[in-house]
Amino acid sequence: MGAYLLRRLLGAIPLVLGVATLIFFVLNLAPGDPAALFANPNVPPEVIEQIRRNLGLDQPLGIRYLKWLGAFFTGNFGYSFAQGRPVLDILKEALPNTLELAAASLVLVFVLGVAIGVFQAVHQHSAADGILSVVALFFYSMPSFWLGLMLMLLFALKAHEWGWLFALPATGITSIDYDYLSAGRKVLDRLEHLILPAVTLSLVLAAGIARYTRGQMLEVIRQDYIRTARAKGLPERTVVLKHALRNSLIPVITLFGLYLPLLFSGAVFVEVIFSWPGMGRIIVDAIFQRDYPVVMATSFLFAVLTVVGNLIADALYAVADPRIRYD
Amino acid sequence: MRSWDVRGWSRALVGAVVVALAACGGEKPREQAAAPGAPVTKGGTVAIAMSSDFQALNPILATDQYTNELIQYGLYTPLIQFDSALNAVPYLAESWEMLGDTGVVFHLRKDVRWHDGQPVTAEDVKFTFDMAKDPATASLLAEAYLGFVDRADVLDPYTIRFHFTQPHAQAIQDFWWAPAPKHLLQGIPPAELRNAEFNRHPVGSGPYHFAEWRAGDRLVVERELLFPAALGGPPPLDRLVFRVIPEPATQMAALVSGGVQVDLPLQPPQMVQVRESKQLRLFSFPSRTVYFVAWNNQRPPFNDPNVRRALTMAIDRQQLADALLYGQGKVATGPIPPWSPMYTERKPLPYDPAEARRLLGKAGFVDRNGDGRLEGPDGRPLQITLITSNAPLQKSIAEVIQAQVRSAGITLEVRPLEFQTFLAQYRSKDFDGALANWQLDNFQVASAPRALFSSRLAKVPNSTNRAGVSSPELDRLIEQASRETDDRKARQDWAAFEDELEKEQPFTFLFWWAELAAADTRVQGIVMDPRGELQSIRSWWLQGGRLAQH
Repeated sequence: MGAYLLRRLLGAIPLVLGVATLIFFVLNLAPGDPAALFANPNVPPEVIEQIRRNLGLDQPLGIRYLKWLGAFFTGNFGYSFAQGRPVLDILKEALPNTLELAAASLVLVFVLGVAIGVFQAVHQHSAADGILSVVALFFYSMPSFWLGLMLMLLFALKAHEWGWLFALPATGITSIDYDYLSAGRKVLDRLEHLILPAVTLSLVLAAGIARYTRGQMLEVIRQDYIRTARAKGLPERTVVLKHALRNSLIPVITLFGLYLPLLFSGAVFVEVIFSWPGMGRIIVDAIFQRDYPVVMATSFLFAVLTVVGNLIADALYAVADPRIRYD
Repeated sequence: MRSWDVRGWSRALVGAVVVALAACGGEKPREQAAAPGAPVTKGGTVAIAMSSDFQALNPILATDQYTNELIQYGLYTPLIQFDSALNAVPYLAESWEMLGDTGVVFHLRKDVRWHDGQPVTAEDVKFTFDMAKDPATASLLAEAYLGFVDRADVLDPYTIRFHFTQPHAQAIQDFWWAPAPKHLLQGIPPAELRNAEFNRHPVGSGPYHFAEWRAGDRLVVERELLFPAALGGPPPLDRLVFRVIPEPATQMAALVSGGVQVDLPLQPPQMVQVRESKQLRLFSFPSRTVYFVAWNNQRPPFNDPNVRRALTMAIDRQQLADALLYGQGKVATGPIPPWSPMYTERKPLPYDPAEARRLLGKAGFVDRNGDGRLEGPDGRPLQITLITSNAPLQKSIAEVIQAQVRSAGITLEVRPLEFQTFLAQYRSKDFDGALANWQLDNFQVASAPRALFSSRLAKVPNSTNRAGVSSPELDRLIEQASRETDDRKARQDWAAFEDELEKEQPFTFLFWWAELAAADTRVQGIVMDPRGELQSIRSWWLQGGRLAQH
């Protein structure tokens, strides 16, 4: 297993590098100019030229690529054009926020999705199954930015107006008074802020997982060994959760690997809507401003996270199904 | 000095929907606004929603509008400030003497201190000036303000003399900028100033001092207790928290649910909800931004003034302002803003499709095959491509123009482009018409005409004269007006310039934008005018003064 993971990790290096190289050239060949970040019409071309020189953009593309590659291998992501500070500092601030959101959503997606899927499979053709199917389809086909706005409208805006007990904050990651709160209140405050974005991000994906789990469960539940398990008098609970669920999880784990990139790209929308100061926001701003070093670093990071996510999914196969070995 | 702000608009449509939904909501107990003259409550935190984060908080580097306002009105002390009639008034400089047309001597206050305790002196002012003037800094401060100032001499620690390269109008306004602290910045090479740690943790000299900046999330400034009483003393509020909320609908949600108390800028469709709410107050004031269609003056048939005039008369600019800006805009006739002392009221060219048709006929475009559209002498239809950024407002303006000019027989194709792509085409003069805007850096009016219409720039690649305007008469009038040091005569010169502009029609000027903002009625002391949204932040106070939650 260890050797396999190592092999996969080494194999991922050219992949990630290729992705980063591709992004470098696409980005640099796209129209637009980082110096135009200061594109007030009053700026004479000489000032723009000077800014370009200060940013190192006056050099040929090939040279810039080699320089970037060299710096990159030494862990130097350079300075953000827009913020004038090391890209590494920006990532250090934003990455934990995105990971917090993504991790919370991931847990929600799978817990919610698998639970609903199993319930539906067990109660196939019941009214609850039908209703849940429709609800799942409803959320599955909903754009996350719309869902986010609607949730905000209801649970932040209207809840506040109508004086509900649990009006949630509409924006941000912490309260303005966060620094003055007690430790316990701080945790609560962060959770409050996390609910709406995490739910927005996970509902859409959870609906998909529920559909998958239901289908898989229905297939597995018809297998002979399930009948055997029931025949030998095991409680239904054990049959469903131990024998059936475990076997129907394998395709769902594949989804885990596939969903990670979806989660990160979904975070881009959700972070903008809920003004969550994470990587998604950073990458959007950076693209608009042609802040090359930031775009490069963030997309590289996303590529790495995706590769690692797929790797984890592969490792989880072995956990779910002992027959799968990587030797 | 904001770069063209288009991103705020990009999601305004979604915003409009939510606002509409939110507007049909329930009631909640209103709190009354304080009566005028009520005693000012001290203390409290006011949170302000902004659509994008601040940039470097360094007066030498500032380019963005709100960053600049926070620097000018919150964190630092500029040499001069402006009163509500836009007259220069003493600030860091307690007095000054003009040296005829050749320079000015400033006498600085002795009681202004950097927030680390050091006094603000003439050395700081000179350091800031020299740093800005160094080409390697690529400072917009130098470009926007110091074009006619070439040298600074420190006469004593609190006296400084500046030299002008030539006489020019509104000369004192060259000095509406704040010094940066020499003792903290002097070791930094100009080309690396942009990456200085100072820009993210500034030490200023204004009524608020810097407290915290979490990028993309919030920026916090706090009351400076040692701010001199002669300049108004410490502000009533304990803290101001600027929160970055990129989505307009979310900004509004935060404002209504109490997460923030002030929302800037507001999108025009959101005005409706603010007007209906008793808890919110609407602020609307004339901006420094003018919208126009730049015609490519070097490309036939737009090199013919008759064609450009016809195009202007085929566009109903009043309808644009009324429909798209909810009546908040004012039809523009040129680059001199209506609030400026240099402005002379004039009637815009009328909307007159018949006259437009006649003028186009003179230029050889008539309907030759009876299809209702005009064709040129070679029989090919008159077809114009209008490029614009893909922001919803810009696209809507372009589409309304497209419909309007059709009645004059003109076929206009709208080409919305991603902003940077748009800018690249606009700058390289690769367009027929470009829907663009221009924001004045300050209250000096000469910079815009010079940059937009100077024929010297027409030949410079990527210059600000993107329409390739080249008119010796416009050049002469601009030079004459911008050298005139008598304000009354300068105003007449600018009126003559606008006469010529009306004849030439290098652009079709559309309208002056109105800036919009909303605030909770409990926040008192807010005054917004052409000086900016944040110009009164030193005096804001919170009724009942409390901490903001959320």
